[in-house]
Amino acid sequence: MFLLPGFSGVMLFYLLPFFEVVRRSFVKSGNGAFVGADNYRMVFTNGAFQLAARNTLLYLAAGVPLLMGISLFLSLLLRNLFLRRKLVSAMLLPMAVPAAVMVLTLQILSDKQGLINGALTKISEKITALPAFVSIDYLNSEWAIVVVVCSFLWKNTGYMVILWLAGLGALPKEVEEAAQVDGANKWQNWHYIIRPGLSGSFFTIGMLSVLQIFKSYREVWMVAGSYPQEQIYFLQHLLQNWYLKLEFDRMAALTVILSIVLLVVCLLLQRRQHF
Amino acid sequence: MRERYRMRKKKRGAWTATAVCLLAAALICAPLLMIPGGSLMDHAEIKQILSPILEEGKGFAVWHLLPFYPTLDHFYRLLIESPAFYTLFWNTVGMTAAILGGQLVVGLPSAWAFAAFRFRGRDILFGLYVVLMLLPFQVMLLPQYIVLQKLHLYNHFAAVILPAIFSTFPVFIMYRGFTQIDGEILEAARLDGAGELQIFLRIGLPLGKMGIQAAMVLSFLEYWNLVEQPMAFLEEQAKWPLSLYLPQITISQAGFAFAVAVVVLIPALFVFALGQDALEEGIAYIGVKA
Repeated sequence: MFLLPGFSGVMLFYLLPFFEVVRRSFVKSGNGAFVGADNYRMVFTNGAFQLAARNTLLYLAAGVPLLMGISLFLSLLLRNLFLRRKLVSAMLLPMAVPAAVMVLTLQILSDKQGLINGALTKISEKITALPAFVSIDYLNSEWAIVVVVCSFLWKNTGYMVILWLAGLGALPKEVEEAAQVDGANKWQNWHYIIRPGLSGSFFTIGMLSVLQIFKSYREVWMVAGSYPQEQIYFLQHLLQNWYLKLEFDRMAALTVILSIVLLVVCLLLQRRQHF
Repeated sequence: MRERYRMRKKKRGAWTATAVCLLAAALICAPLLMIPGGSLMDHAEIKQILSPILEEGKGFAVWHLLPFYPTLDHFYRLLIESPAFYTLFWNTVGMTAAILGGQLVVGLPSAWAFAAFRFRGRDILFGLYVVLMLLPFQVMLLPQYIVLQKLHLYNHFAAVILPAIFSTFPVFIMYRGFTQIDGEILEAARLDGAGELQIFLRIGLPLGKMGIQAAMVLSFLEYWNLVEQPMAFLEEQAKWPLSLYLPQITISQAGFAFAVAVVVLIPALFVFALGQDALEEGIAYIGVKA
């Protein structure tokens, strides 16, 4: 059968070990004694976990709506443009850029004496009505989350634009044309035709954005390392650091918790999708 | 008259839309423009323009898009004087090639199985594949570590390569490519007495080309940029890929780092340019209803 070689690999490298982790999450890692929900209790009462969970939620709350909003806005503009293909490619370019390549650039841009602060200072000097601008050390202050969200948007906007455009492309053109003939304005067109037609896409793209947030750890780690500014210490840092410290029992519990949350997201996505 | 007014208004709207989108695209691409210039800038110039960052003196760093005194020094140092660079470079190339090849060998038949056959448990199994493809690496970190330890693969290249080969993401993309094939063609081939293997090789592969290309492009971009897996599973730095080496170069060596960045970036951009249609198609596969 065609599926057998692939599936046995999936079993070996993904499913079986995952069940092993589920088992271990109820067991003490040294001696293998059954401890019930102790590991889970340890995770929930852990200060680092609470911090990381709060930060991750904040990141989600900021990143997902911004990404969806910006990419939807752009794709609505792009939809009928002559230059559409070229522009979409340009927006997709960050997908091809390895995270490592951007580390240095981001440093130069966001340093306390970097390019962004330089430009802002210049602007505030020109326009005397504004109060004097005080340089911000973006990566080492509460602004770090802003940097992270910006880099998330930078990386994923093109990706989501393509998904929105695919959704928009599936809408029947005739309805809109008919509405236009009847004198519907842009707002009415959006409110009564496009928005309801896209409701499926809203859901899909929302869920995919959530998952992208979890996948954006690579970029965060690249710019800020394993122990970043408090605001951008996410659940992935926690997993990574427990891994390095060999704290496998807690890590197993956290892995299970996180997978359950993400599993729910995935199942919601699938119910809607019928892949 | 009214019609004309409306046409003109529409045209103006298109211009503003183009302008806004151009601006967004420019914003997205702008940071990349720093890289080529930086890689050709000589050390003194970099030191001078970045001195506020490097020495924490007064004022702000500036940047020149084009270097005043262009030089190939950094490339010379990288390509001629750093043998270690080649180790890392070939690590990256080798791992990426092995993963992509393995994904084709393993993933293509799996994708075909999902697309061409209805068997018991197919839907549940496929749902499982989709969930696995959407999970972030950190969730699989501990599970994979456990297997790799058991198989004594920790700190071998195989620790990165094998799990990646069995990644379910390319299976999904190739599957979506195969589902674009008209079922009647397969039906006709079966009636004409073609074997299943023959159908797969003669009809599936050529007609599902777009999905295969899309999967390969997406995988290349992913694995050329490997960070977490080698960091977790490869202890020896000599086995690392370039993408882990680059962030270790400090900002005082900015020119050199930019030169490495150019070398890392060129293959990725090359694949991006060649595979663009496939890439966009592949992304759209993820979102659209079947």
